[in-house]
Amino acid sequence: MISAPENATLTKRLTSLILPGGGIPYYKGGGPSAEPTHLALLALWASGAGGELTRPLLSWAAGLQNPDGSVALNPEHRDQGLWLTALSAIVFHRLGLKEARDRALGFVASLKSVTVANDPKIRQDNTLTGWPWVRGTFGWVEPTAWSVVALNVTGLGSDPRAIEGLKFLLDRQIPSGGWNYGNPGLNDRELLPFWDTTGLALIALHEQTDMTGVRASLEFLERSQEKIESPCGLAWAALSLETYGRDTARLKQRLLGLLNSLPDDGLNAAHFAAGLIALSGKKVFIP
Amino acid sequence: MRRREFLKGTAVLANAAVLGNLAHGGQLGGTSCPVTLLAMSDYRRDLEKEIAAVMTADGLALKGKKVLLKPNFVEAHPERPINTNPAVIAHVAHACLRLGAAEVAVGEASGHRRDPWFSVLNPKLRSILDKRVKCLDLNHGDAIATPNKGSLTGLPAFYLARPVAEADVLICLPKMKTHHWAGVTLCLKNLFGVLPGIYYGWPKNVLHFRGIERSILDLARTIKVHYNIIDGVVGMEGDGPIMGKAKPVGTLVLSPFSLAADATAARIMGFDPRKILYLVQAGRFLPGLRPEDVVFRGENPKRFATQFDCLEDFKRMKGGPFF
Repeated sequence: MISAPENATLTKRLTSLILPGGGIPYYKGGGPSAEPTHLALLALWASGAGGELTRPLLSWAAGLQNPDGSVALNPEHRDQGLWLTALSAIVFHRLGLKEARDRALGFVASLKSVTVANDPKIRQDNTLTGWPWVRGTFGWVEPTAWSVVALNVTGLGSDPRAIEGLKFLLDRQIPSGGWNYGNPGLNDRELLPFWDTTGLALIALHEQTDMTGVRASLEFLERSQEKIESPCGLAWAALSLETYGRDTARLKQRLLGLLNSLPDDGLNAAHFAAGLIALSGKKVFIP
Repeated sequence: MRRREFLKGTAVLANAAVLGNLAHGGQLGGTSCPVTLLAMSDYRRDLEKEIAAVMTADGLALKGKKVLLKPNFVEAHPERPINTNPAVIAHVAHACLRLGAAEVAVGEASGHRRDPWFSVLNPKLRSILDKRVKCLDLNHGDAIATPNKGSLTGLPAFYLARPVAEADVLICLPKMKTHHWAGVTLCLKNLFGVLPGIYYGWPKNVLHFRGIERSILDLARTIKVHYNIIDGVVGMEGDGPIMGKAKPVGTLVLSPFSLAADATAARIMGFDPRKILYLVQAGRFLPGLRPEDVVFRGENPKRFATQFDCLEDFKRMKGGPFF
């Protein structure tokens, strides 16, 4: 658990990135964007920040919602970044915007990945429906995992889309453990797993599966801990291992040290916020 | 979308007299395209001065300019040369500073891995760069909707990462590799990495859906690249761009002309660029595919000519000897 002074220091650094209009950019000097703003909102919620901090951010975030319930990447490109709607649903749920949450969930339920016939070169079931990054394309691990997490967190984990999303994620799991963007192997060779997608997929699978289905991935993440060096990787490893009740003290210690030492030009606000959520120890991505 | 669909689309355009003869006719010719080969037996050799001299000889004016270097970072593997080597990036960045560039940045929107720690924000890369060189994660940031000057993908615009759209000079720094969908990946294919993942996803599947080759060609029409340097010190053969094997070649390929650099690198790799569909198609609007238009400087290409192993599907693209 992060101490109160440490939390205050990191929170101050995060909120220093808030732009006059209310959003947060990925990197200092950039324009406001939905993902860092959403994750910052969840980090502030998890750290118990008051409404005076969250209100302007939440107002900006809610303003990104389109009439069809989808949420835009930024105000300039309102038809882009639809994959972020699932994350928005989690934010609206946690921060009490019920109507916005329900509209976001309606959009998430309507967004489906394209399915195609199976290809013998790629050992995966292309007929399963997940969620795409961009409308009209295939399903991939991260948007599918975010959508399953959103459905789980909001009490819709038994929805048929969530169930198929779980199947999709299990299908895309690399046999020796972990996930990458969404191809477990090619031409009979396993591809490499990534820390962040592995962490997120494990969180999505936490509620709905027996341990045997994810044991290899959990073990992969546990034995790889010391190799993880990035804020993003450490944050998602800590978040997921904690979800499964594993010891994350050492991971969090390294994460805290890294967040404190990040130079401004290397600080990705979305990853920084995910780190703060991990350090809070609060259940943000599970019911 | 795969080759057959691409060919189908191409045929439609050909009927509209846009592309002309598919195989060899209609190539843009008559422009003399300098290509310089610098020997670099390993990454310890510092070629900053030589690179600066070649860029100057090629007429690249950088004084007071905002320069963006676009390397190729896909994902990281300890034993596979997937990415442009950091030493090459550093030599080129420092050569740009030497030539008086006002700003030099290294930017990439990695196609597979979101975490920028595995590309331009890796501390190892930053540690060998001059402090004046910025490292920009192009996946996460602002983009400018830029009208698509091509017509093959049907996409009305590309969302270019803002630093790409705002650079005075764009220098493309790909790795010399085989590619399991396109045959080879060099300068033209490297342009996928100017499109932010937050707009296009990981991987940039919308480009796959529209056709990899179509996307390469539309991007080549839309994005102005001012200079190209291919890292062929150690390339990748076989099941590239991720799962292949290291292939030492020992050269950097430099040219102001993307297609001339690609065609030369392909010939060095033992591929006939006139059998690689997207290079042939690019030859209709970019100079440099025809060997008679390439003017070699520096080392003799014979010194580096080799044969890259490749997947069975692409063996029909092999050819040579070319030099």
